Amino acid sequence: MISTPQDRRGFFATATVLIQGAIGAAVAFLMGAAVVAPVFGRRRESWLPAGNLDDLFDNEPTPVAVRVVREDGYTHVVDRQVVFLVRNGPQVTALSSTCTHLGCRVSWDAAAQVLKCPCHGGVFDRTGAVKAGPPPGPLAAIPTRVEGDRVLVEL
Amino acid sequence: MRSSKRLADWLDSRTGFRKGRSHLLDEPLPPGVGWWFVSGSILLFLLGLQVVTGVVLTMYYVPAPEYAYDSVRYIVDRLPFGAVVRALHFFGASFIVVAAALHMLRVVLFGSYRKPRELTWMTGVVLLLIILAFALTGYLLPWDQKAYWATIVTINIARSSPILGEHVAALLRGGADLGALTLLRWYAAHVFLLPAALAAFVIAHLYLMRRHGISGPITGVPGQARPFYPYQAFRDTVAMAAVFAVLLTFAFTVRVPLDAIADPSDANYVPRPEWYFLSLFQLLKYFPGPLEPVATIVIPGLVVTGLLLLPFLDRRPDRHPLKRPLVTGGFAVLGLGITLLTYLGLKDSPAHADPSDWNLLSLAGQEFIQDDRCQSCHRVGGTANPLADTRLRREPEWLLAHAQDPEIIAPGLRRPPPGGMTPSQGRSILSYLRKVRAGGTAPSNVGPELRTAALVYGRWCANCHTIDGEGGNQGPDLTHAGKERDEQWLYDWISDPEAMDELADMPAFVDRLTSEELRAIARYLAGRR
Repeated sequence: MISTPQDRRGFFATATVLIQGAIGAAVAFLMGAAVVAPVFGRRRESWLPAGNLDDLFDNEPTPVAVRVVREDGYTHVVDRQVVFLVRNGPQVTALSSTCTHLGCRVSWDAAAQVLKCPCHGGVFDRTGAVKAGPPPGPLAAIPTRVEGDRVLVEL
Repeated sequence: MRSSKRLADWLDSRTGFRKGRSHLLDEPLPPGVGWWFVSGSILLFLLGLQVVTGVVLTMYYVPAPEYAYDSVRYIVDRLPFGAVVRALHFFGASFIVVAAALHMLRVVLFGSYRKPRELTWMTGVVLLLIILAFALTGYLLPWDQKAYWATIVTINIARSSPILGEHVAALLRGGADLGALTLLRWYAAHVFLLPAALAAFVIAHLYLMRRHGISGPITGVPGQARPFYPYQAFRDTVAMAAVFAVLLTFAFTVRVPLDAIADPSDANYVPRPEWYFLSLFQLLKYFPGPLEPVATIVIPGLVVTGLLLLPFLDRRPDRHPLKRPLVTGGFAVLGLGITLLTYLGLKDSPAHADPSDWNLLSLAGQEFIQDDRCQSCHRVGGTANPLADTRLRREPEWLLAHAQDPEIIAPGLRRPPPGGMTPSQGRSILSYLRKVRAGGTAPSNVGPELRTAALVYGRWCANCHTIDGEGGNQGPDLTHAGKERDEQWLYDWISDPEAMDELADMPAFVDRLTSEELRAIARYLAGRR
C-alpha cells in the first residue's frame, strides 16, 4: 500500500526506472540482434565442377581454380579458390591450397615432389600431411566426386 | 556495499557526477505541471531512437547507386530484425513530425513562447526545420523509384526559386544530374551534418529550457514546486513507453514500402512525397507556371518567418489561448490548411502497383527460365549466376537481346540466331528478374488456367501489349482490357482479328493456340477491369 509521501516517491522512482529499463532492453535486443546476426551466417556449400579426369596426372597434385559464387552481404562475389586435385587411378582427392599455419597459399614443387608454403617454410606431402615446418595440421581435404569424366568438389 | 559506495565516492570526487545528476533530476517544477508537458520528452526519446536505429542501418547501407537499393533489400529481406530496424527508423520519422507538431501546439496553446523564452522557441523552430531536412535527405537513400522521383521534384522546386535557383539545384545535386554524387552528399548530410546540427540545437534548446524553467500551467496553481524526478519523470516515462509500444506495433505489423529500383528512364512513375510534405506538394498545384515560387518559396518562407518571430509579434502578457485570438486563429488556419491540403493530396495520389506483386509476365518469365537454354549457364557452378540470385545490373535492352542471343555481348550487332527466345519471352524474363530484385517470392498456388494464360501472354502478347506498365507499345494497353470487352469478344478477336475488323493489324492466333489457351487468355484479360 502506498500511504506516505515517501512511499509515493519510492513507487514513482521504481516504476520510472523499471519502465525505462524495459524500453532500453527492448531497443538493445532489437539493435543487438540486427548487429550480431550476420556473425552466425553460414555459407552454403555446393558441388562445383573442378576439371576433367583426363587432364590430371597420376599422383601429381594439379592446381585448379574453382569459381565459387559467394554471398557477400547485399551482393554476390566470385571467389576463385585454388584446390589441388590428386588423381589415383579412377579416384581423385582434393586438397585445400591454404597453409594450416597462417593461411598463405601453398604451391607444388615438382622437383622436390612436395607442396611448399612460401611464407614460413611449411612443407606437405601429396596427401597433405605435414613433412616439415610450423604447420600444426595437414592440408584440409575437400570432398570430391567423379561423374563420368568430370571432377566435382564441394566448396 | 561499502566498496561500491567507496567507488561512487571516488568517482564523485573526481567527476562531480552527483551534483550533475542532481542538477538534471531535481529541477523544481511549478505546481500543476502534468501530462501536457510530456511532449518534449517524447520528442527527445524518438530522436534518440532515430540515432540508434540509424547507426545500425549505416552498418549495412551503402550510399552508392550501384548498391544502395540492394543493401536496403538485404536489410529488409535477409538481415534478422533488419526489417524491424528499418521500420522503426521509417515510422519513427513520421512519429517525430507528429510529436513535434503536438509539442509546438502545446507551446502555442500555453503561450510558453513568451518572454523570456523567445530563444527557446526560436531554437525549437530551427529544430523543426532540421527534422524536416532529415526527412527530406533520408528519403533519397533507398534509391527506389519513390526516392529518385521525389528527389527530382524537390530539386526542381529549389530550381524554381528566383535568381539563385539553378545554383541551389546544382549544389543539391552535386553536379549536372541526379546521381552518385547526389546520393553521397545527401547521405553525408543525413548522417553527419544534420545530426551535428540536431545535437547542437537540442543542447541549446534544453539549456534554455532549464535556464528559464518550465512555463507551467496557463493560470498558476497554488502549491509547492516539486522536483522533476520522480513525479514528472514518471509521466514522461509512461508517455515514452506508450509511444514506443505504438511505434513497435507499427514496426512489426506494417510493411515499409520499398518500390522497384530507381529507373530514370521510367516515364510512367508519378512521384508522391511522404505525407508530411504532401501539403506543400498539393499547394504547388494551385500556383502553376511563373507563380510557382509563391508556393515553393513565398508561402513556406512567410510561415517560417512568422513562426520564428512569433514571440516578438505577440508580446501581450495574457497566456490564455482565447485571449490571443490572432495567434490562436492563425495557428488554427495554418493547421486546417495543412490538414486540408494533405487530405487533398492523399485523395489525389495514384495507386502504384506493388513491385513485388507477381503479374502474368513475371509468372511466365519464371517458367521460361527453366529452359535448358538458360539453365546450361545460369546454374550453381555454371559460367553465370543462377537467375534467382542475379542482380539486375544491365539495362533492359541488353537483357532483352541476351535472352534472344546469349552469346552476343552488345545488342543490335547481328540478328538473333534462330532457336532463341522470342522478344516477348525476353520481356517475360526481364519482368521475372525485376520481381526477384524487388524481393518478391513467386506465388506457389498458381492455378492451371492462370499458368496457361501466363505462358500464352509471355510468349506471344507482351512484345506488343502492356499490362501494368510492362511490355511493348505497338498494340493497345491491356491493363484494363476487361472494362470494355467481354470474354467472348476477346476470344473471337484473338482468334482472328481480321474477321472482326478488316483493318486489324494484329495477327490471327487461331492456328497457333489451342482453344484452351485462347479461353485462358481471353478469360484472364476479361477479368482485368
